[in-house]
Amino acid sequence: MTIESLKNFGANIEEGLERCMGMEDFYLEMVELGLSDERFDTLGKVLESDNKDEAFETVHALKGVIGNLALTPLYETICEITEHLRAKDDIDYKPLYDKLLEQKKTIMEM
Amino acid sequence: MMKTNSVRTLDIEAKYKQDFRRTILIVDDEPVNLRLLGNILKEEYDIAYAQTGEEAIEEIKNQKEFLSLVLLDLYMPQGNGYTVLDTVMGSEELSHIPVIVFTAEKMAEVESLKRGAVDFLHKPYDRPEVIKARVRRAIELSIGRNIINTTGVDKLTGLMTREYFLQYANEYDKFHPEQEVDAVVLNVSKFHLINELYGRRFGDKVLCAIADGARSVARACGGVACRSGADSFYLYIEHQTDYDFLQKSLTNRLYEFMETQDARLRIGIYPDLYHSANIQQRFDRALHASNSISRNANATTVAIYNNEMYEKEVFEAKLLGDIEKALSEKQFKVVFQPQYDISGEEPRLCSAEVLARWKHPEFGFVRPDFFIPLFEENGRVKELDRYVWMEAARQVRRWRDMYGVTIPVSINVSRVDIFDPDLLEYLKYVVSENGLETDDIRLEITETAYTDSVSTVLDVVMSLRNEGFKVEMDDFGKGYSSLNMLTSLPIDALKLDMAFINGIARNNKEMGMVEFILEIARFLKVPVIAEGVETSEQYLLLKNAGCDIIQGYYFSKPVMPAEFGQLIEKNIGQFKRETASGREKTDE
Repeated sequence: MTIESLKNFGANIEEGLERCMGMEDFYLEMVELGLSDERFDTLGKVLESDNKDEAFETVHALKGVIGNLALTPLYETICEITEHLRAKDDIDYKPLYDKLLEQKKTIMEM
Repeated sequence: MMKTNSVRTLDIEAKYKQDFRRTILIVDDEPVNLRLLGNILKEEYDIAYAQTGEEAIEEIKNQKEFLSLVLLDLYMPQGNGYTVLDTVMGSEELSHIPVIVFTAEKMAEVESLKRGAVDFLHKPYDRPEVIKARVRRAIELSIGRNIINTTGVDKLTGLMTREYFLQYANEYDKFHPEQEVDAVVLNVSKFHLINELYGRRFGDKVLCAIADGARSVARACGGVACRSGADSFYLYIEHQTDYDFLQKSLTNRLYEFMETQDARLRIGIYPDLYHSANIQQRFDRALHASNSISRNANATTVAIYNNEMYEKEVFEAKLLGDIEKALSEKQFKVVFQPQYDISGEEPRLCSAEVLARWKHPEFGFVRPDFFIPLFEENGRVKELDRYVWMEAARQVRRWRDMYGVTIPVSINVSRVDIFDPDLLEYLKYVVSENGLETDDIRLEITETAYTDSVSTVLDVVMSLRNEGFKVEMDDFGKGYSSLNMLTSLPIDALKLDMAFINGIARNNKEMGMVEFILEIARFLKVPVIAEGVETSEQYLLLKNAGCDIIQGYYFSKPVMPAEFGQLIEKNIGQFKRETASGREKTDE
């Protein structure tokens, strides 16, 4: 993972780096730390068991972190899931969750 | 989960930037967010962290005196942000700490302001500059900008004030329970002389130069410095294995500035490796160490507080508590050290110096060089002196009644006595009460008293001599009398500082000094008294050089009145002859 690859992924590098006071290594470390969050897995499990309240709590927490890291495409997916869960929408969350996992995997494999 | 302890440790490097740093608590359950915020703010602030509401409340309670701000994430799983906010705002002792909340929810912004938050910030985070500005403003509003600017900083040197410094040191300790630290006190030796010799403006510049040195040394040693008094500075630094760097840096800074060795520092250090004493005690001990260095030391010197000093301190504290009782119960004895005139073929007993001994009920005889400074510090030396003078005069009278001769004695007049407007009256009273003449009592005034406040001392000495008292300048050579001043001094004898006598040997430097002083005395036509003479070699050297009077263990230690009486008895013939010839001379 490099700054360049994150940029290609669509992350708002300028914003992310600014929050890290311009420290590239620190930014990359924080991205790794943010993506290794166990709640990505937890979210899948609670969505599967249709526990919307817990799913909302989980995704909301992820939103706070990923938003700060300025990983825009992933952040947008998380926001979408968050808003559906906030409204307690009865939809099939699997495609959205898969998209989220895919995006996360893409970044991690870069 | 990230361990909060690992990030709680303060970044000492960041302290170099500012002498006084405020502390902010960041509360967020997300390690990434904690570290992002911490990274943004660590340059300006010391940061504490909490990852749950519960931990936050505990931390705020523990640090309530030191926290300048809480940055609170409203959304946390265990004990959410509102619980923390409500706890802080609902508590009388915590509500002075401003809280800024972080939230992504519009509704929550209003709600948190209603509940007492001073401001809110967004998630995802706003730009770092925005966060910093709002944090700064919230702190300034809460404590009042003026307080930061006027009371925290010493106007002359720009260092912290002592009050802020001590608060800072306390705060530092709370966050660094494991850190070994040194309390350092810097004192400028005889700073008043720098002011007198070069002027106050120059003196101020010297203080600023020392402050600069103190600041850079403190920073290099991971700590802070303050000005604690007119000419003293405190440093609170990480424990150092040796103090060469500290000593050299400060000495060099002073030397660069003054290009002379005239200004010297006395540096006292108290290393506290286990935080066993509170901050004030540590600086008191460092001060004690600094005071153990002579003001006359000829170079900047470092002293480290040790066990011996501790024992001395405890002993002093005990003695201090006993002063009152000692005075009221008259636990003091006067002793007399014989003085011999060696100008003739045979040494002959001519007078005595009166010395005080404290017979402490628990410790036995306490040495005067130990207890007199204590009395001086406590403003009780005047009472002690007056007691000793009266006892001495009574004894002289007793001997006169017993042996029919009057032995003149020298008594010590302390610096504070000189400023006592009743001094002359009291001394006259001592003399008349015992039916003596004023020239039976000689007054020893230390040389340094003359150099400290020349005009007052001169006035006082003149008035005493006008009444017939003889005045001897004590410890001559210890102070800095100028030759010019000496010639205009109204004195009746010079008493050599003991330190000269200790070192004399044939043709050495000390002996050269003594011979030089004897020359001066001959020019001034005053006799020279040498005290502390212990060996026959010293005696012979002094006799050959033309010294007039000798006092010291070579002839006799200080003795009790009865023993001195026996000496008078032994020499009674000589005294009577002298009295008779004195009378004849007067008759002529």
